[in-house]
Amino acid sequence: MNAIVFDHVSKHYGDVLAVDDLSLAIEPGNTVALLGPNGAGKSTSINLLLGLLKPTAGTVTVHGRSPDTAVKAGEMGAMLQNGALIPELSVRELVDLVRRLYPRPLGLDEILKLADLTELAGRRANKLSGGQSQRVRFALAIAGAPRILLLDEPTAAMDVESRLRFWAGMHDYAAGGRTVLFATHYLEEADEHSDRVVVIAKGRLAADGTAAEIKAGAGGHTVSFALGDQPVAGLDRLPGVTAVEVDAGTAVLHTTDTDATLAGLFRGTTLDVRDLKLSGADLEAAFLALTRES
Amino acid sequence: MLYYAKTEALRMLRNRRYIFFVVAFPVLLYLINANIYGNQTNPGGVSYSVILMVSMAAYGALASSMMSSAVPWATERQSGWLRQLQITPLPSWAIIVTKLITALVLVLPSLVLVSLAAVLQQGVSLSLGTWAELLLVMWLGVLPFVALGLAIGSVLSADAAQPAAMICMFALAIAGGLWFPPEVLGDTLSTVADFTPSFHYARLGQSLVAGHGLDMTDVLVVAGWAVALGGAAVHLYRRATVRA
Repeated sequence: MNAIVFDHVSKHYGDVLAVDDLSLAIEPGNTVALLGPNGAGKSTSINLLLGLLKPTAGTVTVHGRSPDTAVKAGEMGAMLQNGALIPELSVRELVDLVRRLYPRPLGLDEILKLADLTELAGRRANKLSGGQSQRVRFALAIAGAPRILLLDEPTAAMDVESRLRFWAGMHDYAAGGRTVLFATHYLEEADEHSDRVVVIAKGRLAADGTAAEIKAGAGGHTVSFALGDQPVAGLDRLPGVTAVEVDAGTAVLHTTDTDATLAGLFRGTTLDVRDLKLSGADLEAAFLALTRES
Repeated sequence: MLYYAKTEALRMLRNRRYIFFVVAFPVLLYLINANIYGNQTNPGGVSYSVILMVSMAAYGALASSMMSSAVPWATERQSGWLRQLQITPLPSWAIIVTKLITALVLVLPSLVLVSLAAVLQQGVSLSLGTWAELLLVMWLGVLPFVALGLAIGSVLSADAAQPAAMICMFALAIAGGLWFPPEVLGDTLSTVADFTPSFHYARLGQSLVAGHGLDMTDVLVVAGWAVALGGAAVHLYRRATVRA
């Protein structure tokens, strides 16, 4: 059974369509990045999964059940945006408070270790830096040992060091066969830390696959060379080519398969190819291409 | 849930503002007033040291029940802490019940400390039975104020809840005659005061220390307010936590 299923889900806020006919299935044990620009519907999707919002149309299921049921059963843990802590409580007290609300929580020391908070355990929440608070919120999200962990832009407000430690903790947690869905607008995070990237833009699914597939699928590779005044015709029919641009005598071929395009270029044409440049898989280019189209 | 209640209580006790306004202030006010008027007696023959004790305990209980409910609740709703709790297996009714229990527990320090100050400093002595009745009645009588605090916290933002709770608290304290006798308010205000839960709440305590039993009117008015405000609080709480 899938861990998470969105079946033709839409969510309106008045006239604004935040999620538009989204269908998506995530298998248990996967770590999936939900990648999209601000306002793409990432947070709305996460809130729908937690039952904090109800879809206008379609259904969301978690392990085949409604989000509310899954939340009640302690299957969900989440780091939401703008989640505050109680200032008068220490890190240890906060974590212990939340873990005791779950039926089968992790041990307190284990949680503190995963979130790298062991040294900060006795500190009051109002004495924490932004990055430290984020780590506490991560600790609260994993405290109940949820089978599904949802992280909404988890590294916001973290410095580089905190980020590294945070991702290490996330991977340790996910390694136990748990499902993780994290929303981000950082491409490199999606690329480095997920098995699968789901790109959404304007509430719609724009792409879905491994980071490598997405880069390839969106024509993220380019082959460019000095064309001079040779004819352009036929370049767009080369294998793998999705688009051709010519600018100041330089031809840029967008391709899904660099090898095939090069083979076609050298064997299938009589062009004089000079100043050849290949630019590789760039998720950023792929991302921009995908989110622009939709 | 028990641990949640305990943690909630702990956090309020760490809040300096709470300690000052709610626990220290009524005790201080009692000591000052009792040392000036304490050796006089009212027409009914009850010493002012006892009357003031009831008034100040009532004020402390009123302040505590509103301060420990309205502002923290509004803040949590706004800051996202409530959402953090809503995505745990804790049922949403348990959140408000815990708030209610915590607020009730936190009323006890002000009641007990004012009484203790009265006994130790003013030599007030009542029979054991009267003490038990007094504390129980004064304790349960705060229900309308807790409900009012939770209702305020459900409707207003944290910034607005603070002054709103303060104004309600002061209005109820003055109208209820907790700071000075209600007679000095004049006719119109006295009539208004007669409708407030705080006035009848204080009278519950005064009747007990004066040696006559509880006046049913007082009991009914306080209970009526508790039901009305409790209903409002539950309704507003549901509206505030609704999952759209």
